[in-house]
Amino acid sequence: MAIWPRKNRQEKARVCDPHADPFAVFEEVSLDLGGKQILSGLTLSLKEDRIGVIGLNGSGKSSFVRLLNGLRQPAGGALTLFGAEAASAAPELPRHVGFVFQNPDHQAIFPTVEEEIAFGLTQLGRDRRESRDEALEFLAIHGCAQLASMPIAELSEGQKQLVCILSVLVMEPRLLVLDEPLTSLDMLATRKIREKVLSLPQKIVMVSHDFSHFEGFDRILWLEEGRLRMDGPPYEVLRAFEADIDRRSGVKLELAAL
Amino acid sequence: MADRSLVHIAFYAALIAALGLVPPVAIPFLGGVPITAQTLGVMLAGIMLGPVRGGLAVLLFLFLVALGAPFLAGGRGGLGVFASPSVGFLIGWPVGAFVAGWIMRATPGMNIFASAAISAAVGGILVVYLFGIPGVAYMANLPLGTAAVGSAIYIPGDLVKVVLAALIAQTIARGLPGAMLSRS
Amino acid sequence: MISIYLQGDSWLHRTPAGLKLLAVAVASLLLFQVSSAFIFAACLAAVVGCYATLGRSGLERLALLRGLSVLLGVLLLLHWVSGTFWEGVPVILRLLVLILAANLVSITTRMDDMLEAVMPLFKPLEWVGLSARKPALCVALVLRFAPYMMQILSRMREAYQARTGAKNSWKLLPPLAIQCLRMSDNVADALQARGGSEGLSGQADIPTGPRAV
Repeated sequence: MAIWPRKNRQEKARVCDPHADPFAVFEEVSLDLGGKQILSGLTLSLKEDRIGVIGLNGSGKSSFVRLLNGLRQPAGGALTLFGAEAASAAPELPRHVGFVFQNPDHQAIFPTVEEEIAFGLTQLGRDRRESRDEALEFLAIHGCAQLASMPIAELSEGQKQLVCILSVLVMEPRLLVLDEPLTSLDMLATRKIREKVLSLPQKIVMVSHDFSHFEGFDRILWLEEGRLRMDGPPYEVLRAFEADIDRRSGVKLELAAL
Repeated sequence: MADRSLVHIAFYAALIAALGLVPPVAIPFLGGVPITAQTLGVMLAGIMLGPVRGGLAVLLFLFLVALGAPFLAGGRGGLGVFASPSVGFLIGWPVGAFVAGWIMRATPGMNIFASAAISAAVGGILVVYLFGIPGVAYMANLPLGTAAVGSAIYIPGDLVKVVLAALIAQTIARGLPGAMLSRS
Repeated sequence: MISIYLQGDSWLHRTPAGLKLLAVAVASLLLFQVSSAFIFAACLAAVVGCYATLGRSGLERLALLRGLSVLLGVLLLLHWVSGTFWEGVPVILRLLVLILAANLVSITTRMDDMLEAVMPLFKPLEWVGLSARKPALCVALVLRFAPYMMQILSRMREAYQARTGAKNSWKLLPPLAIQCLRMSDNVADALQARGGSEGLSGQADIPTGPRAV
């Protein structure tokens, strides 16, 4: 829509280093939402390629991963993302951190697939024609050329989620954060999307309730009531988590406590 | 304008479009004049979002209709709609939503039902007809009085909508107190 | 997608959107300067002729007159009651011409071409420091989410009918409005996660695709 010339705004100096290792460092980080403490006392650093996040509903998983791309800002403590302090990094984070939400219907913001993919490119400053061509090419590389002109509303759930993932990948982020991306998918779509995600060169942080999704992961974080309950290799953490669930549910099923 | 407000505006415009799908209900004791849910959406946009965002949501909705989206009740859309004798009512919609939102904001202490009912009556009826009747008179070359009489058949239905808008606002405020953006 | 656009490749489709808009605006202004039923009848014939050049599907679009006839009939009736029947006839004819001509532009112009033609009107926004990108983004959001909201509404109506037997109730609207707000919060997050409405480079376009398919 570049009908008239636009003022060239000065680009701000970049503060983030996309290759920072570790990419995120938490020191006593806490988070409040609406006067309620959601996360507290988080101290950890993230650098592994494949990191999983588990915990019961309301444990703060979603808020935790939203800290990683600047959607939430810590209330206390120090958070360093890609080598920069969280607040100053926030405007740049969408470049480096792709975020995939649980419900693709709440993420895709354009009427058609092609526009949805092209949006990421226009965000980076490409013009309309360039981004359109690149989007078509990108879709073809990922074997989705036939989806280009489809309305998002008419895709299957699996296709929708795939488009959402591609729409952030096209911005070539360093890190991909996925917040329960497989929850509404059938088994075939789950497997396809999971394999797609695992094949990516990006670093991955994924939230899930289903442990089978963590095959091939390097590290699991277990959150409980806003705190880090356990942190370690998948086998140990997942086993401890399961043991805890058995202990809590095994004795007596009290519906009110669910 | 913040992105969040932008998205709210777009969603209310989409909501008004969705309400166009609800088939018109003909109420026998009102003489069988069909009433549509769409103007209810216009009232609610002002009541829920406040003056600026509410007015802009309705304006955005009309902009899409003008571009050719068949979002008006009965699947109507396109520029032809704005050449119709009822164009004055459409012009009155965003202004009405603005006024409704303004009244909500100006009466922060009043209970939601009363405040929403006044907002809907003034914004959704008074203001809308203030634009609509002269529109009919101009487009159809009728005296104002005759145009007013011709438009009056819709007023009973609109009064029903005022009550519904107030009930809806009250229910929403109870279910999700933060939803009343007009008052925050 | 969702549009009253009529797929085709007629001379009217090929005429630039801006020109069509200008033509219909000028024609509307001129039509209000005259009041002869003869002129209006000739214009009406010309407009209907234009519909005919679009072929059968073009003529089928004249069906919009069916819904309109009631309204125009009532207006003629009001003229008759006021004793100005013969003054009413040309007025009604003029309305018919205006509506059909404006509609003709809409059915022969893709929505994104129409949007592009009117985008310069948003330029004043930049003078007050607002991005002209935002209206285009809003349009895209509505086109994306209106069908989704319609889907949610029809699912809710089904669920309501399954439990009560009734299909329409105002009781569906509060949950719809609440869901609408919750969803828009999520979408606002998603937009922010991808760099927000202003883009990351400070000067960004909004993509448009095959919207009017």
